[in-house]
Amino acid sequence: MKIRNVFLSLLTIGLTWSCSNDDEEIQEPMGDYANGILVSNEGPFSNGTGTVTFISEDLSVVSNEIYKMTNDEDLGNVVQSIGFTEDEAFIVANVSNKINVVNRYTFEKIASITDGLNNPRYFIEANGKGYVTNWGDTADETDDFVAIINLQDYTVEGTISVVLGPEAILAKDNTVYVAHQGAWGQNNKVSVINTASNEVVKTLTVGDVPSSMQLDASGNLWVLASGKPAYTGDETAGVLSKINTASNEVDSNIQFETTQHPGGLNLDGGDLYYKLGDKVYKQSLSATSLDLDVALEGVSFYTMVINNGRLYGTDAGDYASNGTLTVYDLNTKIAIETLSVGIIPGGIYFN
Amino acid sequence: MEKKRIFLFSLVLLAIAQVFGQRDSVIVLDEVVLSDAKLLHFSKGTKVRVVNDSVYQKSGTSLTDLLRYNSNMYFKENGYGMVSSASFRGTNAQQTAVVWNGININSQLTGQTDFNTLIPGNYGDVVVRSGGGSVQYGSGAVGGTILLNDSFRFNNGWKNSLQTSYGSFNTSKLAFNTSLGKEKTSFHIGINHIASDNDYKYLGTNLRNENGAYDQFNLNANIGIILSDQQIIKLYHNTFSGDRDFSGTLTAPADENYRDLNHRSLIELSSFNERKVSRLKVGHLYERYRYFPNKQREEFSFGQANTVLANYDYKYQLKKITLNGIIDFSSIWAKGTSIENAQRNFVSGTFLFSHELSDKLSYGVNLRQEVVSDFDSPFLFSLNSSYEVAKNYTLAINASKNHRIPTFNDLYWTGAGASGNLEVLPETSWQVELGQTVAVKNIALSLNAYSITTDNLIQWRPNAQGIWMAMNVQDVSQYGLELGFDWKKKWENQNVAWESEYSFTKSIDNSTKNQLLYVPEHLLRSNVAYQYKKLVAFYQFLYNGSVYTTTDNSDSLPSYTIGNIGMDYHWPDIPEIKFTIGVRVNNLFNKDYQNVAYRPMPNRNFQLQLITKF
Repeated sequence: MKIRNVFLSLLTIGLTWSCSNDDEEIQEPMGDYANGILVSNEGPFSNGTGTVTFISEDLSVVSNEIYKMTNDEDLGNVVQSIGFTEDEAFIVANVSNKINVVNRYTFEKIASITDGLNNPRYFIEANGKGYVTNWGDTADETDDFVAIINLQDYTVEGTISVVLGPEAILAKDNTVYVAHQGAWGQNNKVSVINTASNEVVKTLTVGDVPSSMQLDASGNLWVLASGKPAYTGDETAGVLSKINTASNEVDSNIQFETTQHPGGLNLDGGDLYYKLGDKVYKQSLSATSLDLDVALEGVSFYTMVINNGRLYGTDAGDYASNGTLTVYDLNTKIAIETLSVGIIPGGIYFN
Repeated sequence: MEKKRIFLFSLVLLAIAQVFGQRDSVIVLDEVVLSDAKLLHFSKGTKVRVVNDSVYQKSGTSLTDLLRYNSNMYFKENGYGMVSSASFRGTNAQQTAVVWNGININSQLTGQTDFNTLIPGNYGDVVVRSGGGSVQYGSGAVGGTILLNDSFRFNNGWKNSLQTSYGSFNTSKLAFNTSLGKEKTSFHIGINHIASDNDYKYLGTNLRNENGAYDQFNLNANIGIILSDQQIIKLYHNTFSGDRDFSGTLTAPADENYRDLNHRSLIELSSFNERKVSRLKVGHLYERYRYFPNKQREEFSFGQANTVLANYDYKYQLKKITLNGIIDFSSIWAKGTSIENAQRNFVSGTFLFSHELSDKLSYGVNLRQEVVSDFDSPFLFSLNSSYEVAKNYTLAINASKNHRIPTFNDLYWTGAGASGNLEVLPETSWQVELGQTVAVKNIALSLNAYSITTDNLIQWRPNAQGIWMAMNVQDVSQYGLELGFDWKKKWENQNVAWESEYSFTKSIDNSTKNQLLYVPEHLLRSNVAYQYKKLVAFYQFLYNGSVYTTTDNSDSLPSYTIGNIGMDYHWPDIPEIKFTIGVRVNNLFNKDYQNVAYRPMPNRNFQLQLITKF
């Protein structure tokens, strides 16, 4: 009797589901880690391994160390970031000089890339290839590069030499943009790479230490530079730059105060967000100066991502124990849930 | 104001001292020959263990190896032979002081000593003094103090010893010691060279310790001259030069290289008579490191510090009372890739008092105040007492307040994403200890219980801007029990020595109540040596309990048990020359173990050794 009820209710849900998606193919569940959030945890800096945490969409299930659970091996030292193609995740381990390629929904390992990388940072897919920013040897300011990954056999098939400290990377159609934060030092450039020729076609100057980028619906690239920190003895202000991706020219620069060092640029619901001090600010795309519209205050995040009106922010604690992820509703400014993740949670992604 | 007070205080002390009585001058000579007399008079009620010469030969070559199997210290080694930091009684690496001939030699930059950069073989003795000792030995003597003392042997003839050894991983060791002891002069020089590819297997993987080679040179030299019946002058020198490739981890390869250079020099002039001993010491310490992040390249970062010190020590004996006043001056200059020229001046006044109330009961009161140019240093004291309850049973008690001062890195570091903090305060620590020893015939038993509380622990954490800074973030406590058991037995041509120690250590973050990182709760070691005529066999055993690797105690390293075995054969006597041939197997059971996460230690390995004495 009961079983029949369950069956019926499942059938009803199934019907409802297929009704609302009648223009799509009916899909099998793609894997244990579909429909949820992936958190990359850097892991201890000097020894050990980074991990990946999966959190179900309703925040009710948290699975830690999913790569190790699935593949019975470690990801590598300092898991810097995860980049995605349609079906795969590229997990970048910086100190280990290694990218583990997995099915993004099952987390089963497909390949690992070790040759041709040197201090890899971030991965993006563009024009059928993977692009990975690499610092090269940190003592050498001229050997920095973007590695080109063949997505069929998962090897580095070429490199593009770039200026010092390539960090965040982003693709717009067949153009790749690289923000040059400056590795251990500071830089103030954005490289524009044409993926047809795999050449740097332009190097734009933005504020000092460009740390994050967003692309808006009208095709503008927003680059947030944090400015040089005080310890450099040459402190500079943060700058929010708008780049026209049609002309690849810097359209406008909005300056912060010299002692203000913003970071964590996000775009959600047609607004930009960034963190500064213990606040998260909202910035209209059309504004020509800083709105300083406080979205959240009294917070400090190691990293933050805003998605559908919710802010996901991590706390690395004392950097030697498991960190947490807190989810805020930006309308009510209330924390919905705090979940325990891995050591130094540095990346948040939606699967 | 502070300086003036100390100066007055020392004057008063000297004046008092002039008034008192008499003692035998031969005893005094023996005492002034010692490089650290504070240990003799002002450590009663404290647990002191002398690690003697024969143990050195059985314990490899580094201070890490020696103490790992002969004390209850836990060593965090970043791979064998790499940076080795100590945890003594659950405290951290900066809370163990290493003292060279009475001078604290912890790094001015890091506040700690890398126990793989000290080679104990040439010293007359190595002493492990457990518990607080900041009054006597300065900053960092919280968990305990390791004392390295050169010895001067007058009237001892000309003696030479040549030790050569070869073993697994292409490890070669050479040690040469020569000493000449005449009636009025004593001369000693000791040279060591140790080199190894150190490319051991990471058990359970197909990896090796690819980047772990090391090459070390060490020189000890000392001269003692008895100038008159009342004066002796002693010179000490030590140079250490180390070149190490730094091991990677299980998850990351490495191509780093690290070079250490240390020079330590000291002149000591002692004047003495039956009642008083005055010592004037003038010394210079130099430390330098060079870190090559990629050894194929020329770029390196470095740090160096020069310390010039002067120390006047006046001790007066009045029958059962010993009084000692010490005034110390030092000036330290440090610079490096991440430290602009920084200087610190330092004055300290120390007053030590020891009284033997009766044959059975003695006690001591010790006080110290430091005045440092760049921060306020707390007033320190220690009280200790030992009481012979019964013929074989002694009770010891001590209480002390100790400190660990901020290092040059803590205060003056400037670099990418990290910064020193001039606001940082010294760590202060209070402790009490109760010790009991029972000694009957061949057996010695000891039981020590202690409790330590440390405020203002200095740790590096990111501030609100994400810049890593030294901060006083934590209050921690340690308490524990140490149980020692020694047994010795001699027959006609047999000889057995067995010594064991168990320690239970709780080391707790006062706010979270979690056990601190890398402190094993349980540690058990046991060494047994058996001699039959010309043959000596020994076995070293170590059980190291599990340690936490995260501050929330969510992750840990498993416990492990290691055994080392060895045998020495003393060649039948040839006149004027003695040969000893030895073989040793380390990690007999080929145990896969780590004392720092993801940094495996060596698999089973062998060593062959020949010692020639002539």
